[in-house]
Amino acid sequence: MNHKILKRLLPLACGAAFLASGCAQHEPVQAGNKAAPAVQAEAKKKQKNVFKGKIVGKSNKAKTISIKVGKGAKAKTMMVKFDDNTKGVKHAVKGHAAIIKFKGEGKNRIATVIKPKLAKLPKGTSEMKTPELKALMASGKKYVLVDARPTARFHEGTIPGSIGIDVPTMKKKNGAALLPKNKDIQLVFYCGGPT
Amino acid sequence: MSTTNAGLAFKAGHKNVKVYLDGVPGWKKAGNHVEASENFIKKGNIVLIDLRSKKDYEAGHVPRAHNISMEDLEYAEDDFPANKAAPIVVYGNGDDAKKAFKIIKGWGCKKGSIASVDFAAWKKAGNPIETGVTPDEIVWVRKLGKYEITIAEFMKISEGSADKLALDVRTNDEVDEGKFAKARHIPLDDLQGQMSSLPKGKEIVVHCTTGARAEMASTELRNAGFKSRYLVATVECDGPECEVYE
Repeated sequence: MNHKILKRLLPLACGAAFLASGCAQHEPVQAGNKAAPAVQAEAKKKQKNVFKGKIVGKSNKAKTISIKVGKGAKAKTMMVKFDDNTKGVKHAVKGHAAIIKFKGEGKNRIATVIKPKLAKLPKGTSEMKTPELKALMASGKKYVLVDARPTARFHEGTIPGSIGIDVPTMKKKNGAALLPKNKDIQLVFYCGGPT
Repeated sequence: MSTTNAGLAFKAGHKNVKVYLDGVPGWKKAGNHVEASENFIKKGNIVLIDLRSKKDYEAGHVPRAHNISMEDLEYAEDDFPANKAAPIVVYGNGDDAKKAFKIIKGWGCKKGSIASVDFAAWKKAGNPIETGVTPDEIVWVRKLGKYEITIAEFMKISEGSADKLALDVRTNDEVDEGKFAKARHIPLDDLQGQMSSLPKGKEIVVHCTTGARAEMASTELRNAGFKSRYLVATVECDGPECEVYE
């Protein structure tokens, strides 16, 4: 019932919108100037309605995602709801970094778009894809595959032939000493997903 | 993160550094298997399966292994733990482990891996060996996470406790069906606002329907200075009668 009415109204609404925008073009220029700061303010406000960080948890029953925002002592866990209109809910995976755009405030925050927060490749490195990795493994060339996940994960199941060097170990003073002495050897690092 | 390590390797002078961003999930999605370490095979909280024949198994096998031969595996799904988070490690002859890995993954097991155990090599390396018949049943008990509480302890607290409080963070709709009589109810969404009404001196043990929201709530509580643990279990209530199981 409601849908039908909505459908009937839609063409009308579109027409109205078209008329409105058409009219604006004929308006004196100053109207456009007036609108500009308003648009800017709107953009600024929108920028605020974004959480970036690691997903702490997700409940499909309560349709809630919690995400850790900020660093160190300032880190806070924020809650956002999601609904059937939320795009990219599949990117809200516990332990992965995500960018959540939302509307509403406080406990009425509802996610509109969820995107994975992709890792930036550090200087001097490039990405390798699965087929390339498989080709490298089959090539007989020398390479060292490094599993950078926490040690427990490495033990549970690692890509065959990997060595495990987790981030804390690598960050230690002599962490790099665990890598081959020959600095020309192909190194491939990986962890638990594209975040 | 792999990128952190890759960056450090480049800084240390390595010239050919790549990052496999798709990582382990991408690797498995492409149909490839992962291998368990020897340490994990020996000490991990796993279900270890020996895919060889009964005769070979009884003559000697990796300690803790159950025998389900490759021919029987297809029909053995019900013998495996219902909890799909149980890490299942398989070993056998030739490509059997790889095939078994795919079968088990097809059942929805989240943490399958292959023990690349060549039994002869395992024996030769002086690793421990067991002989004899396979145990009747596969038993796997999940180890609790850092802030998890056992079902038994939770049940006790739910009946009332002097220094602990059971907190139900399900929605109002869910609670309308029933709840633990002595549990406090605050829907997860309202927790931030109502946190101050909780007793500071008591440990708050949180439950929901599965554990996902309970974990979120418990983290919130600990961040706010409360002592808190949570229950990972299925909770179904009908009036004041609640059924709790893993």
